[in-house]
Amino acid sequence: MKEPRSITLVRHAVLLVFVAVSLYPVLNVVSISLRPGNRLRSTDLAIIPADWTVASYVQLFTEQPFLTWLWNSLVVSGLVTLTGVALASTAGYAFSRFRFIGRKATMLAILTTQMFPATMLLLPLYILIARLGLVNTWLGLMIFYTATALPFCVWQMKGFYDTIPPSLEEAARIDGCSRAGAFRHVVLPLATPGLVITALFSFMTAWSEYIVAAQVMQDEAMFTLPLGIKSFQASLSSQWGLYAAASILVSIPVVAVFLALSRYLVNGLTLGSVKE
Amino acid sequence: MASVTLRALEKRYPDGYHAVRGVSLDIADGEFLVLVGPSGCGKSTTLRMVAGLEEISGGTIRIGDRVVNDVAPGDRDIAMVFQNYALYPHLTVRENMAFGLTMRRMPRPEIDRRVAAAAESLSISHLLTRRPRELSGGQRQRVALGRAIVREPQVFLFDEPLSNLDAKLRVQMRAEIAALHRQLAATVIYVTHDQVEAMTLGQRIALMNHGVVQQVDAPLAIYHRPANRFVASFIGSPTMNFFSGTVSDNAFQVTSGGPRLPLNTAAMPAGPAVLGIRPEDFVASMQGDCVPFATVTLDMAEHLGHETLAHFTLPGGGPAIARLPGDAAAQVGHRVDLAVRRQALHVFAADEDGRRLN
Amino acid sequence: MQMLSARWLAFAAVALAVGCSSRDDRLTITIWHQSRPAERELLAEEIARYEAEHPGVRIRALYKETEELRSGFQAAALAGAGPELVYGPSDVLDTFHTMGIIRDLGPWVPEAERDDFVTGALTFLPARDDRSRRDLVQVGDRFGNHLALVYNRRLVPEPPRTTAELVAIARDCTVDGDGDGRSDQYGLVWNFTEPFFAVPFLTGFGGWVFREPESTPPTPGLDSPAMAAALGFIRDLREVHRVAPANCDYELADSLFKTGRAAMIINGDWSWSDYLAIPEIDAAVAVLPVVDETSAPMRPMVAPKGYSLNANATGPAADVAMDFVRHVTGDEAQRRLVNRLRMLPARRSAWEDPVFAADPTLAASRAQLENGRLMPVATELRAVWDGMRPSYQALLGGGLAPDAAAARMQTDAERFIDAMHRQLEPGIAVPILQALGALFLAALLVWQWPTFLALLRDLRPNRTAYGFAAPAVVLVFAVIVFPFFSNLVLSLSDMSLTRFRNWRVVGLQNYAEVLSDPRLWGLTGVFMKTLVWTAVNVACHVSIGVLLAVALNGPVRCKALYRLLLIIPWAVPAYITALTWRGMFDYEYGAVNLLLGRWLGLAPVNWLGEPLRAFEACILTNVWLGYPFMMVIALGGMQGIPQELYEAARIDRASRWQQFRHITLPLLKPVLLPAITLGAIWTFNNLNVVWLVSNGGEPQDSTHILVSYVYKSVFNLYRYGYGAALSTVMFLILLAFSLVFLQRSQATESVYR
Repeated sequence: MKEPRSITLVRHAVLLVFVAVSLYPVLNVVSISLRPGNRLRSTDLAIIPADWTVASYVQLFTEQPFLTWLWNSLVVSGLVTLTGVALASTAGYAFSRFRFIGRKATMLAILTTQMFPATMLLLPLYILIARLGLVNTWLGLMIFYTATALPFCVWQMKGFYDTIPPSLEEAARIDGCSRAGAFRHVVLPLATPGLVITALFSFMTAWSEYIVAAQVMQDEAMFTLPLGIKSFQASLSSQWGLYAAASILVSIPVVAVFLALSRYLVNGLTLGSVKE
Repeated sequence: MASVTLRALEKRYPDGYHAVRGVSLDIADGEFLVLVGPSGCGKSTTLRMVAGLEEISGGTIRIGDRVVNDVAPGDRDIAMVFQNYALYPHLTVRENMAFGLTMRRMPRPEIDRRVAAAAESLSISHLLTRRPRELSGGQRQRVALGRAIVREPQVFLFDEPLSNLDAKLRVQMRAEIAALHRQLAATVIYVTHDQVEAMTLGQRIALMNHGVVQQVDAPLAIYHRPANRFVASFIGSPTMNFFSGTVSDNAFQVTSGGPRLPLNTAAMPAGPAVLGIRPEDFVASMQGDCVPFATVTLDMAEHLGHETLAHFTLPGGGPAIARLPGDAAAQVGHRVDLAVRRQALHVFAADEDGRRLN
Repeated sequence: MQMLSARWLAFAAVALAVGCSSRDDRLTITIWHQSRPAERELLAEEIARYEAEHPGVRIRALYKETEELRSGFQAAALAGAGPELVYGPSDVLDTFHTMGIIRDLGPWVPEAERDDFVTGALTFLPARDDRSRRDLVQVGDRFGNHLALVYNRRLVPEPPRTTAELVAIARDCTVDGDGDGRSDQYGLVWNFTEPFFAVPFLTGFGGWVFREPESTPPTPGLDSPAMAAALGFIRDLREVHRVAPANCDYELADSLFKTGRAAMIINGDWSWSDYLAIPEIDAAVAVLPVVDETSAPMRPMVAPKGYSLNANATGPAADVAMDFVRHVTGDEAQRRLVNRLRMLPARRSAWEDPVFAADPTLAASRAQLENGRLMPVATELRAVWDGMRPSYQALLGGGLAPDAAAARMQTDAERFIDAMHRQLEPGIAVPILQALGALFLAALLVWQWPTFLALLRDLRPNRTAYGFAAPAVVLVFAVIVFPFFSNLVLSLSDMSLTRFRNWRVVGLQNYAEVLSDPRLWGLTGVFMKTLVWTAVNVACHVSIGVLLAVALNGPVRCKALYRLLLIIPWAVPAYITALTWRGMFDYEYGAVNLLLGRWLGLAPVNWLGEPLRAFEACILTNVWLGYPFMMVIALGGMQGIPQELYEAARIDRASRWQQFRHITLPLLKPVLLPAITLGAIWTFNNLNVVWLVSNGGEPQDSTHILVSYVYKSVFNLYRYGYGAALSTVMFLILLAFSLVFLQRSQATESVYR
């Protein structure tokens, strides 16, 4: 597809403006991480401070259990992502393809779980987790994270399945697949962009949550990254250098996950499969 | 290959819609049966029940000697070609064609052999490594055919396979499907709403309306002896003309002073009825086996070269069309003496069913 | 599928095993503490020392930030769990004690030993059941939190002794070196926005936060002439003498002083070691000056920090926990505290340590402590701060005169205290309500019974569907059902500060209060603001997200790079980026104003100081945080749009806009709808951005949306019943929105059926 040069230029202009807008505040965070002496604010616009130092980064790895937290977070987020994707891809399929009693009501009902402010649910949630004996376990966290991420993921997957023509599955069933087989061999590969979004979202839910984690986890050795980072923050005496450095490092795995998945996100497959 | 037998097939949807009502059909081994009817008549639903894609609400389906009511679609040994091709977009042409065989865990060499053979016969060998989105509409249709062929199924099911193609391609693919059927001697159930496809492809046609089979017969038999007014109006283009009137004393009297046509009314009850005459059964000059119809004033004349469509209105009746030779000197306002072939008078009951009376 | 799930199960098993393996047989004591980084190291050492002496004991110290410790401890204690010990300043003790979640420490600290502690180190409160008896609620191990004057010796050779000197030096040190109309160096900075920092001025002018003599419960004394004078003095420092920048909050003051661009700073003992460690500024600590008008010294608030015992801690755990407290408040540990942290100890004997003579900072700290005033241990203090803040900020923004501000502080504080102590009596409506509830349930059952039967019949034929949907649905509901009903019951209850554990169902009174609050539902109220907030944010998220996806979804070079850079706002933790945005909105130094001025020649905007601007700043920040996610979703959705449609549209000579309008948008709909619905719900309930960017609703509580309003009323005024009612109302609003929106957009229906 060829398009006029002017349009291409407009594309680049829009993208460049938003890249600048996206990056500038983050560069500020980088700047904070390079400042000595825990200075959150700066009085000039310089990104690399005159007295820059990587001490915060060094300190993260040498004096703080950063790698432990990283590993914990990777395990928790990884498991939440897998469960989230597995459960959302199946439930979304049911909501998209089948007409069963209570379908609409259930779809609405799972949305309601998102409608309470999380801070207000902390108290009953903690009581629940305590009664189930899940305090200070990752399992408690993972159940909560998965349940938090699922409503969006289910709806998202349902939306994606809705764009896949049912005749493809019918063809697969005639070709000898069971319903589950058609789901696996035909529908899932075509819903990859949806799976990617679901995976990213589940991952981010677990990766960045700290309010519930702070309530549930009692052992520093089992902290997830956001909890660890949170410990650099104190009223009026936060360690901003460490905080910023850790924030930058925390975003790297997210970017890496996105990089790994974005190929599937933008690799459209349904193009030209059917004509309606 | 196998025969397909439908007995008292029923389909009711949960919302109460009764899509298929007591359909019974016998499709012989190797037969090409066309299911035709207007959209919403239940033909696709019937086909999808044969395929196993729709639950059956009542009745039985038999493929060969086996009742397949509760058999999964993949185990019915059928292949289906969809209207939208339903090619798997994430697989290459080769993988698309091999998919069903792979699912059945057929040995690799056998799969390759069959795919190659099918591709050869459909002349798509050069496309095997492409993805569906890189193909033209006709090529996609061939791939869809190929995917059905390699399976070597007992029954082929076609669900309006040509409706997405342009007119020229449609003629070509029609011929290829007919050739394919001859070559494979396969049992085929072919759904279409297009009467030309039905007439040209089918060994027999089953015409459906409102979920009920109206008539099952060879194409020409349906054309010449439509079982009811619906069948008569569905097959034939331009569509059959209908004139309401009364049957009495070996004649049909068209209402309000219209022509009176002599007729053998031995088997018919006297009283109101509907007379059907195909446009092509009118003649502009009296011939041996004809009866005079009426002298009409033309509302419009369409000169198509090989024929002329003369539009006229009988007093007290609706518009009607006569198909006259291409060289007929018919013009708007001309008065023409129309006669009609004696054998081509169809009389139907005046009630809603419009059953054939003669 | 089977392969995948098998691998997944194996992974899960390993992970859980790793996660659960850190168990041992020792008696574990947990401490939640609010220690600063340097203090944590010493705590860890003391724990190690104690554990070495007591092999059967394991002590687990867990840092919690102030609010987190407070709300977390309340929740945990209510659930019958929580840490054995909480460590922190004395200001929350009255709350904990009133709620009945901490124990009397009297039995572990005999009368005889109490004199070993400095006055004020042990905190007593009247017992809950018998006001004549006093419970020991905290054993302090140090004093702190007192403000003093820190000065940069390179700029200020001798610290000021009086406020006149203070003003003179500050004026001299405020310099506009390059003559651009902006000062490059300020004379005196501190956290101007926070009333706690105004207390030394108040005391210097002879006032106090409570009426004196203090009654129980104390009443606020904010409308005094001393307060008006102090407020006038503070205002003049900035408005007349111009020795501090506009919008000088804690972080800005801190950064200015650290980089040598402020000559003096008023800050607490926690910050001093940082300042002393910077060689470029040669900082020193001095006692706050004497106020000329009254000849009285500026006296900061001081407070002990120490340990309290969870009411759920009993038996050996309690004994061991208190034994540990005895260890850290012992003479040896206290001397280590002084020597290592240069903090003021709680035990008298440690004050004899020679280090006091050797260290001028410690000496200054001691002097400042000795003329400080002990922070009242009263829950009402929180209401006082909350009452002071809006008027204080209005004063600094130029909207209120000092005496008017003082008067309004008083009424606001009284109002908050009233709300905090409000007692709800069970209404006559309770039995009616119960009956109605039962009736409603019965009606629902009768009405839905056929559906239920149909469901049972449907289970078999549709088992694949139910099987696919069940795991996710069950998990989601399992997590939400209990909190949902618990919130519902709480909203009908009088759960509050005084009825924390023994709350009762009292009827619809909380709802009546929520629904009749003009601050919530007025035309300029919180609800309208929330609607604007949600609508603007979601509209911007979606339009920017789709715009970027459209821009990316064409023949552009470096697509992958653009994509990667554009999701970065999503990847970096929002907490720090929101604070960065707060910095970027600074009046004088923020990037937004600098760029607006440099590129567009606009006058600087007081983003964080004016109510509407502050709200806009919050929206801008949240828009920035949210568009990458929408972009990702739109990108994913666009892959499902067949290219032929565009080709066909081009043949029909559709313009690009028409193609977008008639092809892209409708086909993106199924994918965007869930994101829009949930995006609206999340934005509606997004607490963080408002809280961080406008620092909890500043200025003057004007940037609140419903969720931050509820947060403030619950967490600052302990009104759990009211908060639950408000969240239920919010829930109903969102439910209604979703129902209407989804119905209209036909989101539950598929394109193909």
